Amino acid sequence: MSFDWWTFALQTVNALVLVWLLARFLFRPVSRILAERQAAAHAALDEAEAARDAATRALAEAQEVRDATAADRAARIAAAQEEAARQKQALLAAAEAEARAARTRAEADLARRRAQEAHHWHAEAGDLAVEMAARLLSRLPGGVHSAAFLDGLISALDALPGPSRARIGTEGPVVLRAAQPLSEPEQAEARARLTAALGRPVELRVETDPALVAGLELHTPHAIVRNTFRADLDRIAAGLAEETAHEQ
Amino acid sequence: MDSPLSLDTLFHLGPVGITAPVVVTWAIMAGLGLLCFLTTRRLSLRPGRTQTVLELFVTVIDDQVRDTMQRDPAPYRALIGTIFAYVLVANWSALLPGIEPPTAHLETDAALAVIVLAATIFYGIRGRGLKGYLGTFAEPSWVMIPLNLIEQITRSFSLVVRLFGNVMSGVFVVGIVLSLAGLFVPIPLMALDLLTGAVQAYIFAVLATVFIGAAAGEDAPQAPPSSQTDKKDPQP
Repeated sequence: MSFDWWTFALQTVNALVLVWLLARFLFRPVSRILAERQAAAHAALDEAEAARDAATRALAEAQEVRDATAADRAARIAAAQEEAARQKQALLAAAEAEARAARTRAEADLARRRAQEAHHWHAEAGDLAVEMAARLLSRLPGGVHSAAFLDGLISALDALPGPSRARIGTEGPVVLRAAQPLSEPEQAEARARLTAALGRPVELRVETDPALVAGLELHTPHAIVRNTFRADLDRIAAGLAEETAHEQ
Repeated sequence: MDSPLSLDTLFHLGPVGITAPVVVTWAIMAGLGLLCFLTTRRLSLRPGRTQTVLELFVTVIDDQVRDTMQRDPAPYRALIGTIFAYVLVANWSALLPGIEPPTAHLETDAALAVIVLAATIFYGIRGRGLKGYLGTFAEPSWVMIPLNLIEQITRSFSLVVRLFGNVMSGVFVVGIVLSLAGLFVPIPLMALDLLTGAVQAYIFAVLATVFIGAAAGEDAPQAPPSSQTDKKDPQP
């Protein structure tokens, strides 16, 4: 057994060279890539953590937005409900006012119709009364008509003012209208009573007007003196109409 | 059959005779260097199978150094890793027909032991300072200085003898059995040599780590276990 010093020296150098070779081509590159991977993993973890934080913040912001939206929605619903209630009240008030106005109009129209009907029936009643009075008077003798109404006509003539009476018959003939034709004696009596009442003779012209029902009318250019059923019925009808109007 | 203890000079480079262990070592250097060069050209953050194996090898070396020395493995990674890889490949080179492992010769084992001794002194002085390192020889008492000096020599010598004895004996036994029994009879012994070679590579690397770690001291700053620093590898 021998020891070769040259082999020993060469193997020492070889071992050192191999250490350099493996350090250069194996350990440094591999350890570097391990460090890079570790750094990349740390960076990825940091990035993931940052992303998680960002996601958490975004979630919180979304929650805030959702809460704000819900609050806004509740406020809008409350406002809409309040507006609907207000409009409902306004519509009810308008409908009530309109109904009240329609009722007022209907009541006024009903009152007007009632007044018209009352007036109509008053007129009908007046006509019926005239018809009934005419039929009743037709059964009386003709002289009774004029004799009964001539006194009233003279009394009404006496009630006229003096100037009015003084002008009767001065501007033409005086027209005496009767419901039935007057006989000659009746005309002579009427002319005599007028002369006595006026204190002077007047020219008298006698006319017949069945519309008077019964009685006499004295027509002058300035005055009309009536004493007829027609005038009485018209006055009574006017009075009833006035009372009906006052009652309504 | 030649004696496994003899050295065959294959050729001469001037006055220097180039023996078989040197040539085999060159072949191992070329093979390992080329393999590492080819496999580490395109490292990526998403490793393939080959890169995964390389990373596993480096990570195992780092973990072993860290567990043994309790410090950052980066300064020692290249030396310890190279010793392990070279001894392992050299031991397993016996599987190739006609190849005798370089570690079956004293010169190679002695060269490795001298490198470990030099690394021990280097890292001891760097870690403790010259005075502090020399002071370790006087621990626990100055009376121990001769014994500690002898220990430095003997433990390095034990590295040489352990590796040499195991590998050489395996080669020797395989040679004897092959010469006596036949072609395929030594196969179980060769398989046993594989195990022996791996164990001896591991023991040599671990002992080198222990020696260097003891010399560097325990008060050196300890890096976190997960650090993968890329410091300049020491050149002992």
